[in-house]
Amino acid sequence: MPKHKPKRSAPSIDMTAMCDVAFLLLTFFMLTAKAKPQELVVVDTPSSISETKLPDAGTLTIMVDKDGKVFLDMAGQHTRMDLISAMNSTYQMGLTEKEMNVFSIVGGFGVPRNQLKKFLNTEPSERGRFPSAGIPIDSADVNKSELANWIHNARLSQFRMKQEGKVKDEYVIVVKADADTPYPAVQSVINTLVDINVNKFNLITSMEGKPGAEGKK
Amino acid sequence: MADIPTASNAPPGRKPRAHRMSTRIDFTPMVDLGFLLITFFMLTTTLAKPSLMALVMPDDSGPTKQDVQASKCLTLILGAHDRVYWYAGLNEAQPDSTNFSDTGLRRVILDRMQQVNQKWGLEIHKDPKSGLEKQGSLLYVLIKPEPGSRYRNLVDALDEMAICGVRYYTVM
Repeated sequence: MPKHKPKRSAPSIDMTAMCDVAFLLLTFFMLTAKAKPQELVVVDTPSSISETKLPDAGTLTIMVDKDGKVFLDMAGQHTRMDLISAMNSTYQMGLTEKEMNVFSIVGGFGVPRNQLKKFLNTEPSERGRFPSAGIPIDSADVNKSELANWIHNARLSQFRMKQEGKVKDEYVIVVKADADTPYPAVQSVINTLVDINVNKFNLITSMEGKPGAEGKK
Repeated sequence: MADIPTASNAPPGRKPRAHRMSTRIDFTPMVDLGFLLITFFMLTTTLAKPSLMALVMPDDSGPTKQDVQASKCLTLILGAHDRVYWYAGLNEAQPDSTNFSDTGLRRVILDRMQQVNQKWGLEIHKDPKSGLEKQGSLLYVLIKPEPGSRYRNLVDALDEMAICGVRYYTVM
């Protein structure tokens, strides 16, 4: 009886299943990934061993760049709208409804109050090249410090939005400063925060490995 | 699944040719591409998340003042060019200097911590995370950044506090 010779075929694997898995994962990562917002200013943060992660929502970020210029960014479109209308009426900034709408979605900014109108009227693609002077800090008188006013009013707005049920939490204040920033620039930001009774805040750092047994004697 | 439906669009009546295209598609390049993109998205998502370091500044509006024994103290003065000047207790006249490496500043802190522990013993406190009782040192570290220092120096110093387990420290 002649035996059936097994059919020789090219050693090929059916890739269909693997392909399915690959694209399923790909879809997952694409959907969970957040598009990195365009950074207004390049900040190279120092590293630390801290393992606490930046929360997803409700942060008010104070950025300090290498030259000590201060920028602000806060989350929440409703809060920003509330903030800018409050600031507009308090300080007579003369912003139109349209400009305030732009502010609510613009992201970070770092201009003195009197230049904000010009900044908001800049084309979105040109905003990265806007000559930002940074938000002025008057460390002598906290009532005159624009940075203090912005942060104070932003926290009030967030609190109002929380009462209206539009946001869940109050702002987590984070300071994102460049590793090479001279300390006095950071100090004036910290002093401003302490002056408006923000005694607890966070410094943004990048990851660093924990030291081994050497540190834990 | 990967087969292509073989509906012949040849005119009827004629028999299909013996020469047939293979109906299987090689998925290998597609899988390659898929995994390449996965790798990309995985790396970008995990790296995008920065970490936070909590800093609590003392409230200087109230009359709260706390006296601390000099023998529990270590003062670090963060100077220019990544140098740290330090003195133990009130020995201000002879500050010593070191750098931010793990054989420099960390050694200074750990040595001082040992001295404080020998003199004052350990303090039992509750770990806020686990709720377990732990022993901690009574060392007080005062961090004084000088105008010539950089922000990195402050973060490095605060980081050493976390690494060495210093519970009482303040930025002045």
